[in-house]
Amino acid sequence: MGAGHTQDHPSRTQKWLGAKESAIKTVWFFCAIFAVIAIFFILFFLFIDGYPIFLQAGVWDFLTGLSWNPTGTPPSYGIFTLIVGTLLVTVGAMVLAVPFGIGSALFISELAPPRVKAVIKPAIELLAGIPSVVYGFFGLIILTNWIRISFDVPTGESWLAGSILLGIMALPTIISVSEDAISSVPKEFREGSLAVGATRWQTLSRVMVPGALSGITAAIILGTGRAIGETMAVLMVTGNAAIIPDPIWNVLSPIRTLTGTLGIEMGEVAIGSTHYHALFGVAVVLLVITLVVNLLAMVILGRIKEKNMAPAKKRCGMPQSPLPEGRSWHAPVTRHLFWVLTGVVSLAMRAIAGLAGFIVTFLVLSGIYLIKARISPKIAQKIAFSLIVASVVTVLLILGIILFDIISNGLPYLTWDFLTQPPRDLGREGGIFPAIVGTLYLTLGAIAIALPLGIGAAVYLNEYTKEGRMTRLIRTGADLLNGTPSIVFGLFGFAFLVIYLKFGVSLVAGQITLALMVLPTIIRTTEEALKSVPSSVREGSLALGATKWQTIRKVVLPPAAPGIITGTILSVGRAAGETAPIMFTAVVFSQRYLPSSLFQPVMALPYHLFILATNVPGAEGNKYGTALVLLILVIAIYSVAIAVRNHYHKILRW
Amino acid sequence: MADRKRSFGFFTFGLAFVLVIALLATGCTQSPSGSGTTPVQTLKVTGSTTVLPIAQAAGEAYMNTHAEADIQVSGGGSSVGVQAVGEGTADVGMSSRDLKSEEKTRFPDLVTTVIGNDGIAVIVHPSNTVSTLSLEQVRAIYLGTCTNWKELGGPDSAIVVIGRDSASGTREFFTEKVMEKQNTLPGMLEKNSNGAVRQTVAQTPGAVGYVGLGYIDNDVRAIGLNVNGEAVQPTVQNVLDGKYPVSRPLLMLTQGAPQGLAKDYIEFIKSKEGQAIVVDEGYVPL
Repeated sequence: MGAGHTQDHPSRTQKWLGAKESAIKTVWFFCAIFAVIAIFFILFFLFIDGYPIFLQAGVWDFLTGLSWNPTGTPPSYGIFTLIVGTLLVTVGAMVLAVPFGIGSALFISELAPPRVKAVIKPAIELLAGIPSVVYGFFGLIILTNWIRISFDVPTGESWLAGSILLGIMALPTIISVSEDAISSVPKEFREGSLAVGATRWQTLSRVMVPGALSGITAAIILGTGRAIGETMAVLMVTGNAAIIPDPIWNVLSPIRTLTGTLGIEMGEVAIGSTHYHALFGVAVVLLVITLVVNLLAMVILGRIKEKNMAPAKKRCGMPQSPLPEGRSWHAPVTRHLFWVLTGVVSLAMRAIAGLAGFIVTFLVLSGIYLIKARISPKIAQKIAFSLIVASVVTVLLILGIILFDIISNGLPYLTWDFLTQPPRDLGREGGIFPAIVGTLYLTLGAIAIALPLGIGAAVYLNEYTKEGRMTRLIRTGADLLNGTPSIVFGLFGFAFLVIYLKFGVSLVAGQITLALMVLPTIIRTTEEALKSVPSSVREGSLALGATKWQTIRKVVLPPAAPGIITGTILSVGRAAGETAPIMFTAVVFSQRYLPSSLFQPVMALPYHLFILATNVPGAEGNKYGTALVLLILVIAIYSVAIAVRNHYHKILRW
Repeated sequence: MADRKRSFGFFTFGLAFVLVIALLATGCTQSPSGSGTTPVQTLKVTGSTTVLPIAQAAGEAYMNTHAEADIQVSGGGSSVGVQAVGEGTADVGMSSRDLKSEEKTRFPDLVTTVIGNDGIAVIVHPSNTVSTLSLEQVRAIYLGTCTNWKELGGPDSAIVVIGRDSASGTREFFTEKVMEKQNTLPGMLEKNSNGAVRQTVAQTPGAVGYVGLGYIDNDVRAIGLNVNGEAVQPTVQNVLDGKYPVSRPLLMLTQGAPQGLAKDYIEFIKSKEGQAIVVDEGYVPL
């Protein structure tokens, strides 16, 4: 409510001001409600296109059918194997990523000296910036071959390859969210524990980790969400055979996911055919799965917030006793978790190394567990800390290997001609100039659309409303949009913008699709930035007679700018690296000239790399060159964002 | 206060930075690299990845002599080609199969022009010792009844069966011509392009796959097909002579008879120079 309302006899100017104020508020309201509309619209459009398959094949048969063969005689549309594939790849990824992720988070938040932390933290954030198509490229060339040779199997394209890649991709999410959770455990807990004579490891494992458990759980669920929705990397390394592994724990079996199916079949399917509707049915199922996972994460994160708020109010009184009622169930949960993990790892080893491997692994792991109780706390601490350090080293090593492979192979091809020439001979020769420009057009267009909407929504949420049902709805909409798999955006863009609105495969269709994808990031980071501005500043401005909008524009937004800029740059990086949303909406394979209108298609770096890696034989050099350029571009963008954030964290203190 | 000023300065700086990049990017549009003049006519060509290399190479050759033309070639698949031309989102479609009856009823005005032919070759890893197979044997591999190279006179190693995704025109043709419309084994690895099949076969010793003739190179070995006791290699000559049994026409589609740039372009491909490109890319000329 603006300042004008407090007057008894508003003058004309004040009336006008009041009208202006409420007009501005309305504009921001529409920005905010846009996220909610978008998510419903996406759901609606996918459902409209997927509906016929549910009618034709029957919901139950569609979900539980064991055979996916849309062009067979007779055609069959059962996606059970795909659902199982998606779940297995995701579970495998989490088994790999969770220990390393939590280990690294513990290292960063508790063990690392400040100077080491200052290097490792951004390095891991950079891991998040590597585009998924680059991971897929690396997996296709290096990882699958490595698996084939070291496990002596006919082909390395497998569940394991998919899980390893997805695990690496989920790591940054798991690490940063867990690290936040561990860091936010009140320091009195740690001090109290150390003061009563516990070792650092005891403090860490029995006080800090249980205290941060719900945050860590949320981190794992968010990582899971990321893994389920990933398309390009999975599509390139899992083999895409629509089978259930036999036996079910055979990690070396090829596998096929929901996203992979969309990625390889969508481009070629005849529009309007039963197969086309079946693919939209797949997208609906995928979207429902990710929505459930993300809602779960939101509920858990919401619970943590409530829990954190409660003691904060009483902070000035007695320190809270650590872990109220928690002890009783945390311990059994971890114990069960340990045995489940042991079982899973042993079964996996059985598939890889036969029965002997199974027995040895099982014995070793059980042995560790039994010995654990009998060694002194000091030795336990040494063992635990070396494991933690080992996990960080492994994560950094993986980052190093990927970067080294791409840089060492790509650098020789990084010439001036390569950067400034159009491609020739299907991209085997010539350069990638149109792809670089196309990627810039796509990302800048997407930001130009998403930035005003996102800032508007955040301003409305943070400045104009009190927490209530409406804000919760809007926030949930934005969060769900955030968790939507990028391939689903691609399908929506294709069905709505390209086909329904008849934009055709065009620059503008890609920009809008990407804008939808980055919108939630911008809303969330802008909101964080606005929240960090203390309310006393706003009150001061209002007290001096400034209107609401004047206050926001002149007092609140300027100091929030660095935060907003950081969020924007991160979005630019994400948009620049994505393949799935643009591959059906905006890109062409090869182009000599740059597009001259918004309704022409463009080339883009990630798609160019995907095509060179999977479609064009004999493009070795240009493949690596393109991967390197894409990597440099995205990492440069991310570095700028991280630098801006760190810089202002230092100087902006209220 | 000083802090706020500085951060606002940064905001302006950031905006300016974005604007400069945008300007730079738009500035580039005026001077397309590689050629001095701006093209006045664009031709969107889209569809089958099998026909794509021909369309791309021919497009490049055509643009070299016709600076006014901008030919944009993109893949996707035969169905995309049919759809795009029918809906008017592209000017020329590429297809490696004939139009289906439902497509003919939906887009009755589509005109097809044959621009070349293609044989489908069965390929294996270069280290594989098997050199010829009969159509029955290929079928047995893809049905999953034959799972080891030993059964076919090769090394004792499991067969890794690689095929195309179910939306592919090449797969459809393979299913019809080789598989006699029987379903392939569910454990087949599926790839979304000829190039991806070739790539996987090249790095997997036990693999077998099928690709268009244009995708055969030194990294993979093509298998001869045993026809009436005679081994017929998948070569351009054998397809031309009608000896190699697995071949199909490659089509360009237009809405109505081709006109203007589309007509010139298609005629260029059918000309002597264009057909030389077809041969260069490893396909079979008219």
